[in-house]
Amino acid sequence: MKTASAGTVESMDCLVTVSEGAPGSGLSIQLSGAATARFAPTMRKAVQEVATAMGASDLSISIQDNGALDLILKARTEAALARYRGGDTA
Amino acid sequence: MIRNALGRELPESIPGYGVVKPFLGHDKRVPEGNRDGGRIKATFGNQTDKVLPDIKAAIAASGLKSGMTVSFHHHLRNGDYVVNMVIDACAEMGIRDLTLFPTALFGVHKKLIPHIKSGVIRRIMGSVNGPIGQLVSEGGMEEPVVLRSHGGRPRAVTCGDVHIDVAFLAAPRADRYGNLSGVGSKSACGSLGYAFTDAMYADCVVAVTDCLQPYPIGNVSISQLYVDFVVAVESIGDPAGIVSGTTQITRDPLRLLISRYAAQLIEASPYFKNGISFQTGAGGIPLAVTAFMKEAMKRREVKGSFGLGGITGYFVDLLKEGYVERLLDVQSFDLEAVRSIASNPDHVEISADWYANPWNKGCAVNMLDVVILGATELDKDFNANVNTEADGALLHGIGGHQDTAAGAKLTIISQPLLRGRIPCVVDSVYSVTTPGEVVDAVVTEYGVTINPRRQDLIDAAKEAGNFPLLSMEELLAKAKDLVGPMEPVQTEERIVGVIEWRDGTVIDVVRQLKAKA
Repeated sequence: MKTASAGTVESMDCLVTVSEGAPGSGLSIQLSGAATARFAPTMRKAVQEVATAMGASDLSISIQDNGALDLILKARTEAALARYRGGDTA
Repeated sequence: MIRNALGRELPESIPGYGVVKPFLGHDKRVPEGNRDGGRIKATFGNQTDKVLPDIKAAIAASGLKSGMTVSFHHHLRNGDYVVNMVIDACAEMGIRDLTLFPTALFGVHKKLIPHIKSGVIRRIMGSVNGPIGQLVSEGGMEEPVVLRSHGGRPRAVTCGDVHIDVAFLAAPRADRYGNLSGVGSKSACGSLGYAFTDAMYADCVVAVTDCLQPYPIGNVSISQLYVDFVVAVESIGDPAGIVSGTTQITRDPLRLLISRYAAQLIEASPYFKNGISFQTGAGGIPLAVTAFMKEAMKRREVKGSFGLGGITGYFVDLLKEGYVERLLDVQSFDLEAVRSIASNPDHVEISADWYANPWNKGCAVNMLDVVILGATELDKDFNANVNTEADGALLHGIGGHQDTAAGAKLTIISQPLLRGRIPCVVDSVYSVTTPGEVVDAVVTEYGVTINPRRQDLIDAAKEAGNFPLLSMEELLAKAKDLVGPMEPVQTEERIVGVIEWRDGTVIDVVRQLKAKA
């Protein structure tokens, strides 16, 4: 299965892993980490925004979070999606 | 439902706890009547040896029965073997429904979990952390945990709120007639401060030692007057877990910046003069604050009077170098502190009662000028939470937080604005440990935020003019801007933790976490 990832599990960072979803499955986002207890909707929204802007679909995005702020969450998501598409330059 | 002075909603009575006395204000409740006490006992000249062969013999001799209250002290910290050893023996002897009344529990005590699940331990009055804290937070105990500060605990014992049936005292050194010492042996822990009240007020006192010496030993902390039985075991604890290595000052530039701001606030305050007293504990930031303060004391030729609380090698150096005249030590954190308390008469062992009990004739925190503390979160009213984490789990004890904040003339909470994505300032703390009326300032990497009720401090800080000042509203706005909106913690109605203020009133309760879907 094709996957790509970006980020680390250092404090205040996150590891974003993108993998192939079933055709027509849309976008599925899995969040883990301590901050999800209080920030899950905000985190989901940040990831969704980037994915939508990049036209991503039929993908599974898994976030292993260690306290990343939205800015970092978005940047890591963007990088993982770009890598998934084969261009490692984004 | 009733509301306490902070507006927290509390039931009138809590199953397993009893009638709730609502928090009234930090110095509003005063006692009436006489002190409580343990049983009177006669010991004549034909009884000259208190040694029993093992823990089970001591448990049998103590009269410990199902449903009773057993107490322990935490000077062996994460190296302790005694709590697990005693509860294992109780379980084997068929004793159940115990109330465990430790001064604190550590990670090593996760071995108690099977005894909680099987009903040997019915209730814990004391701090819970790690796996036991998680178990309690998820509703794994029948009765709520009762949290008390280092001063609130001896208050509860001396006034009779809690009666100790049997106190088991880990003793690094003892003689056959029950004189106990915390120094001069392989398991040395220094001060035995937290154990004093238990020794004096329990019906029966069992000392457990791994260094039994001929009568009488020297450096006696707790004397033979209080001890019923002595048991010698192979080992009372792991020395590596009892004392830490030398505590390091933080090297993180962010934390150093915070420490410098805190030290500058102290220097700007009216308390920075000859005779200043302080407590800074063992954390990375507080130690760095002490180092910056030391520089300032040297520069301005200021001599301090005493250092208080948990004592580290860093404080021992301050004593040796003449920056303070005395150390008042309720808990010796590292080897340097243990060595110092054993040999330096100006390094004084004090009990938890002496340290922090609001209901005696004057405790040490009342004489304190400055304390540096932490908190998991603070709110716009400066209320501090040290007990629960951001996810609502009850994972930390109160320690001396309430006592030192209430006693000190300048109470500073210093820490980074964010831990991961979790901000340390919020609109309203999830649970209150210490009310804003006794918190004077919060110091973060953005600068110093002073409680508006301390206009004198705000004026002094402005006059000094060498560190940034920002209001709580500004700090809160910064935090919200960085982290985004926070969802509330999802809980059940059931109360799993009762947080007492140091005077025995209830400042807040902690509810069971909703099971994750």
